[in-house]
Amino acid sequence: MQRSFIAKNPSVLIFLSILALFTLLVTVMSEGFGVGGISTSFIKTLGKTLCLCLIALALDLIWGYTGILSLGHFAFFGLGGYMIGMWLMYERTRLIVVDSLTSTEIPPTDGEVIDAIGNQIFGVVGSSEFPLIWAFADSLSIQLILVLLVPGVLALIFGWLAFRSRVTGVYLSILTQAMTLALALYLFQNDSGLRGNNGLSGLQNLPGVTASQDHVSLWFFWASAAALGAGYVLCAWLVSGKFGSVIRGIRDNEARARFLGYSVETYKLVIFTLTACIAAVAGALYYPQAGIINPAEIAPIASIYLAVWVAIGGRGRLYGAVIGAAFVSLLSTWFTGGQAPDINLGFYTIKWVDWWLVLLGLSFVLVTLFAPKGIGGLFDIVVERRAAKEANQ
Amino acid sequence: MRQLFLAGLAFLAACLISPGLGQAQDALIQPILQEHQALIVKSSRKTIGPAINAVASSGLPQAQTVLEVWAAKNMWQRKSDGLFFIGEKIDSKIYTLTDFDSGELLGEFLKSDLKQLKPNSGIRALIGTALVQFQLSDPDIEARRAALLSIERDPEASLLAPLRASIEGETDAALKAQKQRLERLLTIGYDEDEAARLAAISDMSGDLGVDVRATLNPLLTTKRDVVVGAAPEGANIAALLRPGQGEFDRLAAYDMLVAKDLAPARISKDDIRTQLAAHIDGARVGGVPVAQLNTDANRLAAYNALAEAGTVPAFVSDTAIEAALAAHTFFDVYLEPSKAVTDAATEALKDIKLKVGLNQMLDLTLDAVSLASIYFLAAIGLAITFGVMGVINMAHGEFIMMGAYTGFVVQQIIPDHTVSIIVAIPTAFAVTFAAGVAMERLVIRWLQARPLETLLATFGISIALQQLAKNIFGTQARPLTAPGWLDGAWVMNDVVSISYIRIAIFILALIFFAAFLYIMKRTRLGLETRAVTQNPRMAASMGINPDRVNMLTFGLGSGIAGIAGVAIGLFAKVTSELGSDYIVQSFMTVVVGGVGNIWGTLAGATMIGFLQKGIEWMNPSNTLAAQTYMIIFIIIFIQFRPRGIIALKGRAAGD
Amino acid sequence: MSTLLEVSGVSVTFDGFRAINNLSFQIGEAEMRAVIGPNGAGKTTFMDIVTGKTRPDEGRVIWGEKSISLLGMNEARIAQEGIGRKFQKPTVFEEQTVQENLLMALKKPRGWFSVLTYRPSDADLAKVDALAGEIGLRDQLTRTSGELSHGQKQWLEIGMLLAQEPRLLLVDEPAAGMTPAEREHTTDILVEAAKTRAVVVVEHDMEFVRRLNCKVTVLHEGAVLAEGSLDHVTSDQNVIDVYLER
Repeated sequence: MQRSFIAKNPSVLIFLSILALFTLLVTVMSEGFGVGGISTSFIKTLGKTLCLCLIALALDLIWGYTGILSLGHFAFFGLGGYMIGMWLMYERTRLIVVDSLTSTEIPPTDGEVIDAIGNQIFGVVGSSEFPLIWAFADSLSIQLILVLLVPGVLALIFGWLAFRSRVTGVYLSILTQAMTLALALYLFQNDSGLRGNNGLSGLQNLPGVTASQDHVSLWFFWASAAALGAGYVLCAWLVSGKFGSVIRGIRDNEARARFLGYSVETYKLVIFTLTACIAAVAGALYYPQAGIINPAEIAPIASIYLAVWVAIGGRGRLYGAVIGAAFVSLLSTWFTGGQAPDINLGFYTIKWVDWWLVLLGLSFVLVTLFAPKGIGGLFDIVVERRAAKEANQ
Repeated sequence: MRQLFLAGLAFLAACLISPGLGQAQDALIQPILQEHQALIVKSSRKTIGPAINAVASSGLPQAQTVLEVWAAKNMWQRKSDGLFFIGEKIDSKIYTLTDFDSGELLGEFLKSDLKQLKPNSGIRALIGTALVQFQLSDPDIEARRAALLSIERDPEASLLAPLRASIEGETDAALKAQKQRLERLLTIGYDEDEAARLAAISDMSGDLGVDVRATLNPLLTTKRDVVVGAAPEGANIAALLRPGQGEFDRLAAYDMLVAKDLAPARISKDDIRTQLAAHIDGARVGGVPVAQLNTDANRLAAYNALAEAGTVPAFVSDTAIEAALAAHTFFDVYLEPSKAVTDAATEALKDIKLKVGLNQMLDLTLDAVSLASIYFLAAIGLAITFGVMGVINMAHGEFIMMGAYTGFVVQQIIPDHTVSIIVAIPTAFAVTFAAGVAMERLVIRWLQARPLETLLATFGISIALQQLAKNIFGTQARPLTAPGWLDGAWVMNDVVSISYIRIAIFILALIFFAAFLYIMKRTRLGLETRAVTQNPRMAASMGINPDRVNMLTFGLGSGIAGIAGVAIGLFAKVTSELGSDYIVQSFMTVVVGGVGNIWGTLAGATMIGFLQKGIEWMNPSNTLAAQTYMIIFIIIFIQFRPRGIIALKGRAAGD
Repeated sequence: MSTLLEVSGVSVTFDGFRAINNLSFQIGEAEMRAVIGPNGAGKTTFMDIVTGKTRPDEGRVIWGEKSISLLGMNEARIAQEGIGRKFQKPTVFEEQTVQENLLMALKKPRGWFSVLTYRPSDADLAKVDALAGEIGLRDQLTRTSGELSHGQKQWLEIGMLLAQEPRLLLVDEPAAGMTPAEREHTTDILVEAAKTRAVVVVEHDMEFVRRLNCKVTVLHEGAVLAEGSLDHVTSDQNVIDVYLER
């Protein structure tokens, strides 16, 4: 008889338990609700890291399981951030504007309010008109739908074009990179409608919420943890059944899958779009914690770092992606944030701010060469040892 | 002192060359000055004309000196006899005087006995104009050239006559042509005679010079005007305008009426708001509660109520605006009154525009070719490694950067730019060749048949190299200076020009192309490389060592990247990000061109170069958008030719 | 006997090289056919055309009793129509177990959504078990297929094709690299399969073809050179010339 999905995948349960414990621990240690052992800014860092883990899951699904190395998922991440950022910025500016206008003698008309908001938001790029893409910025629910819809549709169109013409392998990777670059360059323009390289800012303030950042940051942390948990379960469910078999089949032998009657292009498109949506959700949770989003976030390099995390963590296994993203991104923050102690060699002082990227780049080469399974591969060794021991007994 | 010397020399030369002038030397200028003594002393801009003319047209060689001295405020009058001399300060009280005609030093005089002539700026300008004819015929060619240049910079109606007069006697052919050209332009702008202007316009139509356009365009300057009823007769009207059509906004039209007091001022929303705020009466304005003033309709009602009471000016409704606009004629009128001239100028500019357009096309093509050769240089190494080994080298851009930095370092050691470039090219090749071979042996060899992982590993190297460069050379841009003979540009006309560096890069690209074809088709390495590309196992069984071939190919591809880096560094700033600026375009070039074929790379580079320039031309203000559109175009292009422009077909292409 | 697949007047050119030249070929239901020919005769290209991997420049490929054209369909669509293909090199999903391989091949809706919600029923598992028995891999069901021997992989691939329940099976050199015992087993599987469906076997090994005991089509330079029983074609002067020439 069929066993339940969770029973077949004990790792999911383990992961969820660890995530829950971690969330609880952080909450207890927080300034907002607990004893205050962890600063609010570090809570934000942890929350952001959870979001990065989520997008790493998405990349693992498309790269580790389906074999498509997308160097464009940060584009979807960024778009998700932009979509929620538009509402956050619009609504917050509206509250400020309404507040300042009501203090005048004559109550403002709707037109005056909108003009003033436009001036506030777009003055920095020398405009005061609302571009068409802001048409729904006043509605949280529509903007939340757009968080999924915009990146999803972009992924759908791009994926359809790319997979239809059977672009595969490194070609596809380069093409996804080009897509990211095109999007980033487009957003860098002042007349892109999204404030050019100023980006959207002040996103850490929830409009109409008077709670302090100590609390807000924890809310986002919880939301990120919940999203990561849900994303993990979704991904695990996807890869565990026949669907998982098929996408891994596509990864290992595209032609065989095709001659078995599976429309490889459709499957790729489904996975590409789905992972784009997961990335978008991660982005929508990430940027309110970061406070600001600008086109530089979408630059191709970000997507490549993402691939680095997943590779170091161990692709083709979901926990590997999570471990890699958490480990490398936290380490990056530590090293580049200037907290890491410099090493004085007497004749030369190694400043980690300068040398961290060199180390990361080289360690990446080493991992690819000597540990293609990444950190996750270590678990395999442990599991194999135990299996061998049991076999001996 | 130098000027004096030159003047003296010129004087001497003039005596030798022109016997006519020599005779005139006998005549004296002092009498002419004395004749106009009253005017000169009076020193008024309005009356001075005849005096200057008399001196200038005297035909005496001293005339120039007189005018120069006068303009420089060095002309002094001796109070005793009213004669004019050149005065030179000895100390605060004592001046020496020199005679204009004899050039003789008359000795020292007390300042109190003398009167300095201080022409005001208006008079000095008149003198300057009079001087032009002397400068234009100055025996020193540099002086003539300078005079011509000053006229070009600052043309004036009064300069036309002296310029014309000087053409006849011009001895230098080039300068004469320049004078004639300037004469035509001044004629267009300033001649009194309409026929002469028309003739000049037709002479210059089709000329590409910026100066021609700068002369013709002001003729077509228009002024926007409005009158009641029909347009005025006899005015040289460029166009009648209808408000609300084209660029001519209705409100702007109405504001013109307001400005000319032809209509009452518009009441804007802000005005309404201000007025309402100023007339709050209790909690109401014009009978409307203040709290309800949050719609435009309510505000207008309140305002109208105030207007009826006479406290504020009446609101100008849309219908009133419409009626006012209909009752007036709006038009653009040429400042130039002659219709024949403006018509001819329009026609000539149209001709010129067409010609300029064609030439811009040519210029654009040259730009595109030069961009294409840069992309070709940047991509060729990538194409080699991708084509032969199926390896995407993400660190290719960093090899380009490495080449550029090598050039920079060589330049620090060898200060001579020409020598340093000659040394830098092979050095850069050697450095990046070595780096490429090392990378192939240490990393890529172990990842064969795993292209995605190769991509990532080379990316790791790229990150490390970029940061390393930053650590060593810092983040600021380092200069890689081109040798002097590469400075400047090959100028075909005012529209078409191309810098020598770009020509050099084009030639370099051609050399590489030829060298590559030679290596692949005529050498043992080429043969082995092709064999390994087509069937590595078969090649291996025939005694070719694929490892060695791969290593050499990779080294070669990297070496070429290094040389490309030197070339790119000559015109771009050398920074650690130099490579990443070119890497995506290089990939696009390879992808669009098709893998494994040098002709494909050439075609890809050409297409991307032309495409980018073409898009930039359509939207010149926005290079970011140009790149965006180009990438989108490429993604769509891949739909139709997934294997690139020049693709291998059939089973050999494999899957 | 009704015609299942009819290929008529098909030509295809690669860079000026005519791989298939006005080829016509027919096969009925429940028929076994061997296709032989020297290297470069166009055997693999012929399979590529039927399975949709290569588009012919001209000609028709007609399928089934409804006489639908296979041209313009993609590989997956053609496979769903009931044409299975076995490659020369064994191609199975090496990282997955034998059972997963067979389950994936089992005739079920191929759409992504149906696959997503699919959970194997007991009947499906039983079917897989039976198939595994047929190809002699019942004991290996939970093994990763990458660990199987070369011959076992070949059988697994054939088993996957059978699981697809195709009406036409295209098999490219199934016996290559097999031991004599394995060959015999392979022959048995194919002969058994041909009882209920059409099977086209491309093969070099005459001994293997003889054991299949079926009609033979000889391809040469992209066209049919001879057709008939093995004895008939081997006595054909044209065929002898072509083979001796080489």
